[in-house]
Amino acid sequence: MAQTSRQGFPRQGFLHKAVLAFALIAPALAIAAESAAVSSPRVTATLLSSRDAVQPGERFQVALVQKIARGWHTYWQNPGDSGEATRIDWALPAGMTASDIRWPAPKALPVEPLVNFGFEGTLLLPVEITVPESAKPGERVTLKANATWLVCEKICIPEEGAFTLDLPVEAAAIVDENAQSRIDATLAALPQPAGFKAKLTSDGDRLALSLPGLSAQASEIRFFPLSDTLIEHAAPQPATPAADGVSLQLARSSAFKLENAELSGVVTFKEGGLPRSLAVTVEAEPALLTAATGASAAPRPAVVRLPLPVEGADLTLWAALAFAFAGGLILNLMPCVLPVLFIKALGFAQLARAHRDEVREQGMLFLGGVVVTFMILAGIVVGFAALGSSIGWGFQLQSPPLVIALAVIMTLIGFNLLGAFEVGTSAGGVGQDLASRGGRLGAFMTGALAVVVATPCTAPFMGAAVGYAVTQPPAMGLAVFLALALGFALPVLALSFAPGLLRLLPKPGRWMVILKQAFAFPMFATAIWLVWVASVQAGPGGVLAALVAVLAAGFIVWLVGVTRGTGRLRLAASGLAALVALGAGWFVLQSAVPSATSEARAGDIQAWTPERVAGLQAEGKPVFVNFTAAWCITCLANERVALSRQEVKDAFAELKVASLKADWTNRNSAIAQALAEQGRAGVPLYLFYPGKKDAQPEILPQLLTPDMLVTAARRAAGKEIKTASR
Amino acid sequence: MKASLTRQSFIAGLALAGLSLSAGSVLAQGAAKIGQPAPAFQAVDADGKTRNLSEFAGKTVILEWTNADCPYVRKHYNSATMQTLQKDMAKEGIVWLSVVSSPVGEQGYVEGSAAKELTAKRDAAPAAVLLDPNSKVARAYGATTTPHMYIVDPKGTLAYMGAIDDKPSSNPASLNGAKSYVRQAVAELKAGKPISEAATKSYGCAVKYAPLS
Repeated sequence: MAQTSRQGFPRQGFLHKAVLAFALIAPALAIAAESAAVSSPRVTATLLSSRDAVQPGERFQVALVQKIARGWHTYWQNPGDSGEATRIDWALPAGMTASDIRWPAPKALPVEPLVNFGFEGTLLLPVEITVPESAKPGERVTLKANATWLVCEKICIPEEGAFTLDLPVEAAAIVDENAQSRIDATLAALPQPAGFKAKLTSDGDRLALSLPGLSAQASEIRFFPLSDTLIEHAAPQPATPAADGVSLQLARSSAFKLENAELSGVVTFKEGGLPRSLAVTVEAEPALLTAATGASAAPRPAVVRLPLPVEGADLTLWAALAFAFAGGLILNLMPCVLPVLFIKALGFAQLARAHRDEVREQGMLFLGGVVVTFMILAGIVVGFAALGSSIGWGFQLQSPPLVIALAVIMTLIGFNLLGAFEVGTSAGGVGQDLASRGGRLGAFMTGALAVVVATPCTAPFMGAAVGYAVTQPPAMGLAVFLALALGFALPVLALSFAPGLLRLLPKPGRWMVILKQAFAFPMFATAIWLVWVASVQAGPGGVLAALVAVLAAGFIVWLVGVTRGTGRLRLAASGLAALVALGAGWFVLQSAVPSATSEARAGDIQAWTPERVAGLQAEGKPVFVNFTAAWCITCLANERVALSRQEVKDAFAELKVASLKADWTNRNSAIAQALAEQGRAGVPLYLFYPGKKDAQPEILPQLLTPDMLVTAARRAAGKEIKTASR
Repeated sequence: MKASLTRQSFIAGLALAGLSLSAGSVLAQGAAKIGQPAPAFQAVDADGKTRNLSEFAGKTVILEWTNADCPYVRKHYNSATMQTLQKDMAKEGIVWLSVVSSPVGEQGYVEGSAAKELTAKRDAAPAAVLLDPNSKVARAYGATTTPHMYIVDPKGTLAYMGAIDDKPSSNPASLNGAKSYVRQAVAELKAGKPISEAATKSYGCAVKYAPLS
């Protein structure tokens, strides 16, 4: 009656026979409440009954018991990255029914770099059996079960076993206390109903699972979804405290597929050192739903690059180079870079008379700094594009620690301009300073700094050029970035080479000191803005981290200043400064963790998803999509001067335009992909979709005016001619 | 070096340090994505020849992660389903590359000669068997199981990634009535249609990875 496991590997002759022999004699030894064992060197399995005799009409528990050899594991319902769940097929007497397996909470079992979900050690898989009322005392019932399971160490072996329980029917059930208590212990440890509904929201590449009601004391929290097409199983699941409970950040599966708004899973965690688990029902936001045919078939508006405005048109290499050069030139006028350039120009003015050669050298070094930094950034962006992953222009500002570093730098520059401290030879003054070796490095580094602070800005022409750059072979992409760098460096370079231009600058004097001080305030303003960006990216933790970083930087600068030239004390001070820097750096990395923000920031404007665009288009609504980021100054300027204007709002309302916002403040590959589809590598990007199914979007320029938006809205609504008298 | 650090260099140095920091965190990401260029790779085949993805530009390429002893792989080979698929694809002018990513000392590791023997013994018809004992190709594609299938279109774009069919089981009976995601994707690719199921959950044994050195 009992069978042996079917071996997956052929080379187990002796063991196979031994198992067979044991299986043949086992029935005689087996007590009624436990079936004969099915054994392999990896798993010994039995069917355990909580009854020695069953009673008509009752429900009782049986369990498939797997004693798994050390190092091996079997699988949960969702096996994770590989594997297959244990299955039981029942053959029961008429009227008898068996429930599904009541699954214990799984463990995450890493098989570097993958993760499986399953069980080690001894496992009981309980099933509830219902005895029909019609069963007669004195009869016997025979429960037959065929179970299949996959047992893996590093290698995997499919096994199966047939189990039989032959139980008498009595007027009153005879409980096998031992079996009952083992099964009861398993049942008691099953994931408990959570008592709250979890919410799953999209965060682009990632998913955010909010678990309201989960205690803040919970640690080692992990979510196991039943569906194997929801998350990347091996990805870490960082937890952040939320308004109520905890929020888990999950990596979206590359095979992402979600057909029902409600899904289930198990959350395991530790509380007070004890392992706990909850069975959760998760409600997914509608935007996450994919069409029944699969994730990739989700309606994604087809992409055609319109020849309409110059931006976004398909470019030739020469056009891209020209665009990049022009874009770089215009970038000089953007608010991000202006203060840095003024400081450079002031330096030139001071040097102008005596050191014309120095000025030229400085100009060249500035160019060098600009080119090298652009090439580093471009190398990263183009390199990733070549590897098939899009990170986009401005990617570095998607990292809260870097945004915070920039805020610290801005604050320090500001105080330095005010004269609060001097970095460099204290008495020598700027001129002498610049003439020193350090001055050369300084000129180079000013170029680097100018590029770094320029990245939040995008100038006209730049979007299309950078977009072109990332879609071309690396060499061509880098050429485009080189053109951009040359355009960007040209004004300062020209100034350094043109004595006439330099003479236009007034003589150095008191006005320079005052102007220098005045420039401190744009720096502080920039720092404030960066702290705000950090708060959008990483919440209150980001603000705290930024302010702590500023404090630490201020302390270090002060410490280095007061101990200058004091020998041994200086060494100690340097050590202390390094310690503070390390501590603050660590704190920033700990606290400035990106949080899910896109939805929260969107307000009454809906968050963008390709599906939403397609849906709204199908309803006949024109759709305006605003691709933006908190760190993109050009975007914020457009929002202020055009998007938030009353006449635009009125026109949008009148024409029933749906506004969607794609917030790229934090990394989001869906948005990056959508940008790439329009030939862009960064924000801002403004798209107007006509209210017709599958109609192509119009790409608006990077600097918006209210008129432009209203006209585009009319075009999208198909009403451009009628209301010309507006 | 008496205080030769100028204001600008001090500041810009900080900025660059931050920059490299953020670039590092970006590096942690980046596996194969549908609709994106398929990750480039270089690997030695069973004949000892170095092969690149780029040499197949203009052709459709199918990558099959395999491990001869894995029960799921055996299901497809013992029934000749896999070989038939390979031959049918070859007829269509499609390049079929079987990839073995087990490192030395791990189950599934083969040398070139053993790989060729296996191909002959099983009457398999891959264009080449790629040996990936450092698991570099596996990491680039994020392969998790054997089998795990990837289809690269003639433009070098990743068109399909995931399971070989819709029956995640090692039981040979499951082949009856299974829907081949690979055949479906290739047919749609040929017809110029969008791939209806471009990313599916692969199933099988875990790919044995070499530790990151």
